Amino acid sequence: MASADGGAYSYSLTVFSPSGKLVQIEHALAAVSQGTTSLGIKASNGIVIATEKKSSSILVDDSMIERVAVICPNIGIVYSGMGPDFRVLVARARKSAQAYWKIYGEYPPTRVLTQELANIMQQATHSGGIRPFGVSLLVAGWDVNRGSTLYQVDPSGSYWAWKASAIGKNMVNAKTFLEKRYNDDISLEDAIHTALLTLKEGFEGQMTEKTIEIGVVTVPTEEDLEGWSISSANTRPKPTFRKLTEEEVRDYLAL
Amino acid sequence: MSIMEYNGGSVVAMVGKGCVAIASDLRLGNQALGISSNFQKIFPITDHIYLGLPGLATDVTTLKEQFRYRVNMYTIKEEREIEPEAFAHLVSSTLYERRFGPFFIEPVMAGLTKKPSGEYKPFIAASDLIGCLNFAKDFVVAGTASSKLFGVAEGLWEPGLEPEDLFETISQTLLNAVDRDAYSGWGAVVHVM
Amino acid sequence: MNSLVQRFDTNNALSEIKRTSAIIEEDGDNVSDLMWGSYGGFGNLATGIPKFNIPAVPDPSAFLRLHTDDHTDPSCRIKIQHGTTTLAFRFKGGVIVAVDSRATAGSYIASGTVKKVIEINPYLLGTMAGGAADCQYWETYLGIQCRLHELRNKERISVAAASKYLSNLVYSYKGMGLSMGTMICGWDKTGPQVYYVDSDGTRLKGDLFSVGSGSTFAYGVLDQGHHWDLSDEDAQELGRRSIYAAGHRDAFSGNTINLYHVKEDGWKFIGNYDVSKMHYEGPGDIPGAPGHGYGYSIRTAGKSSADPPTS
Repeated sequence: MASADGGAYSYSLTVFSPSGKLVQIEHALAAVSQGTTSLGIKASNGIVIATEKKSSSILVDDSMIERVAVICPNIGIVYSGMGPDFRVLVARARKSAQAYWKIYGEYPPTRVLTQELANIMQQATHSGGIRPFGVSLLVAGWDVNRGSTLYQVDPSGSYWAWKASAIGKNMVNAKTFLEKRYNDDISLEDAIHTALLTLKEGFEGQMTEKTIEIGVVTVPTEEDLEGWSISSANTRPKPTFRKLTEEEVRDYLAL
Repeated sequence: MSIMEYNGGSVVAMVGKGCVAIASDLRLGNQALGISSNFQKIFPITDHIYLGLPGLATDVTTLKEQFRYRVNMYTIKEEREIEPEAFAHLVSSTLYERRFGPFFIEPVMAGLTKKPSGEYKPFIAASDLIGCLNFAKDFVVAGTASSKLFGVAEGLWEPGLEPEDLFETISQTLLNAVDRDAYSGWGAVVHVM
Repeated sequence: MNSLVQRFDTNNALSEIKRTSAIIEEDGDNVSDLMWGSYGGFGNLATGIPKFNIPAVPDPSAFLRLHTDDHTDPSCRIKIQHGTTTLAFRFKGGVIVAVDSRATAGSYIASGTVKKVIEINPYLLGTMAGGAADCQYWETYLGIQCRLHELRNKERISVAAASKYLSNLVYSYKGMGLSMGTMICGWDKTGPQVYYVDSDGTRLKGDLFSVGSGSTFAYGVLDQGHHWDLSDEDAQELGRRSIYAAGHRDAFSGNTINLYHVKEDGWKFIGNYDVSKMHYEGPGDIPGAPGHGYGYSIRTAGKSSADPPTS
């Protein structure tokens, strides 16, 4: 009955071990650190989030694999860990963003959406009969209030804002690499290249537009913002978050 | 007898040059009988938003509290003041929640929106009792004297009014409209931002 | 049953009207001489009971009601003024008649300068509540009849007789949509007199009446202040103050007050007073006035611990 690591406490995630741990959450974190590496870097004029997209077989049609997801026009997320769990979270986050839009007529600020995701993940840690989410997330977004922000959410439901962070298999190495390369006034272009270099560090196999996914947040210009007010209606705001196309990724890789 | 006229009362809001104004009467009636000449219908929401709630008095009180609650929750959650545009949508969605048993209130909002450049832009809006928003660029009216307010405002309002002139315009609009409405009057209040 | 009786009754107004419409239809150009009052050349009032064009429908009064009743249908096309406050009372110095001046159509204040006291003749006043046109028309008509009475009998008609003439007249139109609530006030051989007459046919003799949507408010002030031995000044002030109370509280009364005083030598117009001005400043420097506004907060400011004096 008692296993090596968590003993009897590892079965029910709603029970603390005598040492004060919820071991299921630690197991979830372990699942994350086996997942593919993802990273995010906040630049002076935007944010880049990037990840590896590796399929188990060459026979898989990788055009349908999506690891960087658009939540709403100003927010995108990337994950490391369990794909299916991520899919559920993406669906919940998109719903939440639309519900917010329905009430306030605008999309949620990054922090509010991050909190929403963190709450969902936290609830999984103290509800009976379910397990924690096996993913860590990087949430990148832009809003009028706080500008561009990058958050990381863990299976426990805790979240932090980062200037740059990495999650997944190579996160320790990647973070050390980022610490060396990061400075506060890095431009988005430079950040994208740094992201690619960081990924390259622990990359197995060929890094191509097919095996990389990148999402960027771009800070809107003042003219953009002027045109967005609801009163001047009927103009759909230009999204501040978008995924780079395969062509764009190829161009960055070529440099 | 319409329930919208049960207690009486009217609100008007106007846009000026870099300023907005909102004004209401102070009457609370029970049909033809005047009860109070000090019934507040305009409430400050943030430092930059005023909300006017003409209509059934019990719903004025209920909605005022409802919006206080929702705006406070918003402020705490988002760590920022709600902007007039977002607040207008909050008003709209709050009212539509009661689509099939509405609050008998036709809200009027006036506020200043902070532009990215840092300057403030005047904002006014009105809604019907189930949340259909009207973002007007000149003036909005509501309440038992609304038809009269439309007439007078149409005649007195002009673009680019400075705060002092806007005050005079909105005051005269309200006073003269209310003089032609049996259910409004008994004192007035004007706010200029 | 009622309509059956009406159809065969030859003495009521309806049959009178039916005869008239017959006359009108005989006329070639469809405009009768009555239209121009051509028998005498000065309107048709002097020719006995006036005749009216009647809509060519089976039930004219039902047709009229369909288009005039703004209580059941506020959007109806012909709106009749309902909100009003009028009062009249008798005291040793004569009769005080005071009225407001507001005319409303639904919640719309159609006028704030209506004359609701109808000067029937120098000794008789009528007040107006209900249908403005009905009151105006029939009280003018009453004035003519009163003058004819005077010419025929070489003495002025009593207030009792004049009011009864009106009462009988409106009764003959009962059920046809007339709307009047009036007080016929005057001074005759028997002294100051006030009669209440309405379109239902009610006729009451009394010391003190108030009619209209604001009457309850007026009664409140009137009842507690009324006394037979009131001085002229105090009586006038009571009339003003009572209509002010109604004009203030009742949404359908207000704007201004018209005050009349009937004495032995006929009526006298005392003055016109703005209700808002009375609220804040009072009626001005006139006999009987308190010298300050009537408004509650104006009267009580600084007079109690609930509203302490400001230094």
